[in-house]
Amino acid sequence: MDLTLKIWRQENAKAKGHFETYKLTDISPECSFLEMLDILNEQLINDNIAHPVCFDNDCREGICGMCGLYINGRPHGPDEGVTTCQLHMRRFHDGDTITIEPWRAKPFPVIKDLVVDRSAFDKIIQAGGYTSATTGGVPDANAIPIPKHKADEAMDSASCIGCGACVAACKNASAMLFVSGKVSQLALLPQGKTEAAIRVKRMVKKMDELGFGSCTNTFACEAECPKQLKRTNIARMNREFICAKVCSEEK
Amino acid sequence: MKLIKLASITKKLAVGALAAFLLIFLPFHMGMNLCILRDDGGEWYRNVCHFMGTNYIVKCFEIVLLLCVVFHIVLTFILWLENRAARPVRYAVSQKSKTHQGSKWMIITGGLIFVFLILHFINFYFAKTGLVEGKYVVKVEKVQKAFSAKAMAIQQGQMKEADMQKLQKEYMSIMAAGEKLASDGKYYVNLSKQDLQTYFGENVEEYDYEPDFYNMARDLFHNPLYVIIYLLSFVILAIHLLHGVVSVFQTYGLMNEKYSKAISYLAIIYAIVIPLGFAIVPIQVILF
Ligand code: HEM
Ligand code: SF4
Ligand code: FES
Repeated sequence: MDLTLKIWRQENAKAKGHFETYKLTDISPECSFLEMLDILNEQLINDNIAHPVCFDNDCREGICGMCGLYINGRPHGPDEGVTTCQLHMRRFHDGDTITIEPWRAKPFPVIKDLVVDRSAFDKIIQAGGYTSATTGGVPDANAIPIPKHKADEAMDSASCIGCGACVAACKNASAMLFVSGKVSQLALLPQGKTEAAIRVKRMVKKMDELGFGSCTNTFACEAECPKQLKRTNIARMNREFICAKVCSEEK
Repeated sequence: MKLIKLASITKKLAVGALAAFLLIFLPFHMGMNLCILRDDGGEWYRNVCHFMGTNYIVKCFEIVLLLCVVFHIVLTFILWLENRAARPVRYAVSQKSKTHQGSKWMIITGGLIFVFLILHFINFYFAKTGLVEGKYVVKVEKVQKAFSAKAMAIQQGQMKEADMQKLQKEYMSIMAAGEKLASDGKYYVNLSKQDLQTYFGENVEEYDYEPDFYNMARDLFHNPLYVIIYLLSFVILAIHLLHGVVSVFQTYGLMNEKYSKAISYLAIIYAIVIPLGFAIVPIQVILF
């Protein structure tokens, strides 16, 4: 395959970025998207054309959430339910122009080229996305019986890998799908339920402080989430939030 | 940038509550408009308008409704500004993600509805408050009372014979404009503000005249340009509602796997039935 790539290049967080166009020839359709970028980088280095294009990645098997590129107007590219690292070149056509941009959101500043700083997500988790467990002996796994369907629901919500595609896809750069996944996975289980009210209040507060937009129920997040978290998580978080505001005295 | 220091979800809840009131209001307004369809010379419609214009509970709701519209617009606009600020650098390639129908266009469809509302207010609400010229009705007893008072004055020699003739002519012309209403047999007279003043003089307020929305509406619906604007506005409203109804449920957390389909259908039905109910009135007026 022959491709034209338009890639966002930005020296550092302060520098002004711009698009650079690169041509690639003879790319195999079997190649993954990130391998295609590896090939590009190899050429850029070997032919002494430019610094390699920086992009985040780690596991390359869709479980770590590090990778994340905005490809032709969609986070993680044209496939549904996959991360960028699982996207393959067979999804494109010979002669295509592919525009690659970093996630764009105020709380996700660009560090270099296509790499953004997603520590805003960590700050939201630190604000309340945990259960306060005291140390001691490991409790028996079946000490608290949990119905299968609750466990399944919690597991689905917990499948979020924190990639940030929901924020990237949302026209408001809202982090509601991510936060609601975390709120849900804990609120659904008895171990997390006792702190559910204070958790949702703190996490939402942090999310707002960090400058994420507010949800307008556009559901682009749901369409682009590689783990296919559902909009019902957001509805659950709204419920949790209303209950917490009305019923809970904790600040 | 946060223009209002409230939790994002709280702001959304406020928008949703205001919108929910508007959603409840729309079927009432539609029902009222449908009365125009009845072939009774506007009797039902005038009765509804009379009730809406004079009942104190309704008047309270009118204020609530106005506030809802204003705050719905102000809040959604502020949210829109805040949300734009959450993405200071925009994408070069426009977003291609699948989104809920109508959701990307809320600010535009809403803005166009707002433009229509201004037109609507100028045509009807302002006529009611007397800011712009409208048409008015007065009960015939009131007219008779006014004229007999004048006639008395003439008989008692306070007016000249020539005035009497003029008065009779006026009376004839005003009655000629009158319409007999089927069931109660009472006459109403359609008048402009100017007419009211000439017939009833300075004390026109005493004759508790009311705006004649029936004839005002029918006149407007005979204007093809107005009808086109009117019908387009309701297509736009339908698009606004298609997302709006689902959005209110979602915002209030009233959404789960079990009901999400039902809510989508409810939204589609609401977004079609309500605007259609409004649109059918000018169509009937223009065609029949
Ligand atoms: C008859 C009039 C109207 C009705 C029935 C109506 C109804 C609704 C509903 C139900 C929602 C969803 C609320 C939610 O997400 O919880 C909504 C959202 C919205 N409305 Fe309206 N609306 C009306 C007029 C307007 C007007 C005049 C504007 C003017 C700008 C406007 C702008 C918006 C915007 C921007 C949203 C999106 C808010 C969001 O998604 O977060 N609306 N409207
Ligand atoms: S909710 Fe989905 S899109 Fe958002 S961070 Fe988690 S995995 Fe990524
Ligand atoms: S690199 Fe780990 S999910 Fe893509």
